[in-house]
Amino acid sequence: MATTTGPAAEPVTIRRTYRKSAWLRLGEALLWLLLIGVAIIEIAPISWMFSTSLRDPKNSFDLPPDFWPTALHWQNYLAVINSPDIEFMLFFWNSLKIALIVTAAQLLTCSMAGYAFGRLRFFGRDILFGLFLASLMVPATVTLIPSFIIIRSLDLMNTHWALILPSVTSAFGVFLLRQHFKSLPEELLDAAKIDGAGYFRVYWQILLPLTGPALSALGIFTFLASWNNFVGPLLFLRDWDKFTFPIAIATIRGYMGSGNQSEVLAGIMISIFPLLVFFLLAQRWIVQGAAITGLKG
Amino acid sequence: MTSTALPDDGIDRQANPQKGTTLAQREAWAGYLFATPALLGLLAFTVLPIGASLVLIFLHYDLLTPPKWAGVENVTRLTTDSRMFKIYWNSLRLTVGATFLNNVLGLLLAVGLNRAMPWGLRYLLRTSIFFPVMTTTASLAVVWRFLLTQDRGVVNFLIGQIGLDPVPWLSSSAWALVSAMIYDVWKACGYLMVIYLAGLQGIPAVYYEAARIDGAGFWQQFRNVTLPLISPTAFFAIVISLIGAFQIFDNVYVLTEGGPGDASRVIAMYIYEKAFRGFEMGYASAVSFTLFVILITLTLLQFLGARRWVHYE
Repeated sequence: MATTTGPAAEPVTIRRTYRKSAWLRLGEALLWLLLIGVAIIEIAPISWMFSTSLRDPKNSFDLPPDFWPTALHWQNYLAVINSPDIEFMLFFWNSLKIALIVTAAQLLTCSMAGYAFGRLRFFGRDILFGLFLASLMVPATVTLIPSFIIIRSLDLMNTHWALILPSVTSAFGVFLLRQHFKSLPEELLDAAKIDGAGYFRVYWQILLPLTGPALSALGIFTFLASWNNFVGPLLFLRDWDKFTFPIAIATIRGYMGSGNQSEVLAGIMISIFPLLVFFLLAQRWIVQGAAITGLKG
Repeated sequence: MTSTALPDDGIDRQANPQKGTTLAQREAWAGYLFATPALLGLLAFTVLPIGASLVLIFLHYDLLTPPKWAGVENVTRLTTDSRMFKIYWNSLRLTVGATFLNNVLGLLLAVGLNRAMPWGLRYLLRTSIFFPVMTTTASLAVVWRFLLTQDRGVVNFLIGQIGLDPVPWLSSSAWALVSAMIYDVWKACGYLMVIYLAGLQGIPAVYYEAARIDGAGFWQQFRNVTLPLISPTAFFAIVISLIGAFQIFDNVYVLTEGGPGDASRVIAMYIYEKAFRGFEMGYASAVSFTLFVILITLTLLQFLGARRWVHYE
């Protein structure tokens, strides 16, 4: 007996003395039930969408519903992609182009400003940073109308610039990266300065490489927000050839939703497919990023 | 020897190629340069719009004819706009309901997921529950519109299987707002789960061990360890869910189109319609300003109230 009471045996004895009561068992069982039930409810609409997008259009409204593909009518996807009235793949390109430009621009402007506010001393710095903090409190709904008037007076209606320009920076991104830059040790920057590195080199070669998690979190959620943006395209875009996925799908639903559920769902599947792949590959960073930044798509 | 000492003295000048500028001045210039792009964006698309909307409140402007001075007409009109009050009431009910459900569910799911379980199962549960967060709100609302259709909808088929009558989810004024709430909870509870999960994982295990040694059961541990230590996370989560839910637009715009009648119209939709369907930019700005005041007040009240229930370690 004396040989088994080493330090490693200690947690075991704690666990043994802690007996599970009936209430505890019931609570745990209910939590399992909730977890599994919610997981099913969360995923069922998506698997229904996928299964129904593969049904023959003439059966698309038939009941009972499928939550697992019973038909493999891939023609629906081809029908959407090769649709004569609309160039569906153009929406993909438009969405991707805007999201990539916005993400690159935000990462650059926010990290630059984050460096300035977190690491450099200049007159008026705290007041300017205060301006960024204050603007975090302003809901997007409030700036919608004047932003529309500004875009209109810049003659940018029905262009992608109308979606890109208002998103080239974000107060939240500046705040997030400033906090990260501020938390890096001073000695690191001193060492770089002694080696003769200028401000740009310190920013580009020392600070940025050390900010990977915060940058990728900001990048992921900026990309998602742009990809999923609905109000922007609704206000600023008029022509089909300028549309991004969300506005295109809401519009397509309007004129073919009642006739052909399968093809509309195939269109939605195509529009969220990149998100699905991206999510399965980068789930850890996305989930962590959501927790760190408090941002969502 | 002195001639070799002099270049040493010149190192400062080498680091300072522009004569007459001190290191502090160069640092200041660098600061302004690095801050400029973000600052320009902020000025053009946040500061200027806020200033403009404060001016717009006092104008009649329909985009086509030049703006006309309106004085306080738009503001006095707010007080008599009974339709706006009705729509605010919808927004309030949707916000309170969605915030409550999202946070309770998010916390429970996080507690459930934060237990010992096989890696694969955890991955599967977390993936399933979080994935809807990433999808496009407007597009998935199209999916839910199909699901909630009264006659051939999947949801009514399924509740019919357990013997319940079909529910007019989208076409009755009693249910339309409930449907929007269901959709929001479906879309957002995974996000709250992830936030609460991060909060739970930040609680040091020693607190639970101490509680167990003192004989605390599951419920006592939850009440006396988890809840107080999760309260800063909960505070953050509730503030952002309230602000987000008050501004819900895509969801209702696609799912119910605000109908039937005004039964599920929310305030962001009302502002949108006043501005971009009715072209009453001035009045719409006045309404959006009331939303701004409400959100700021809510946030401040939360911060004041937080002293009573948020515990920091």
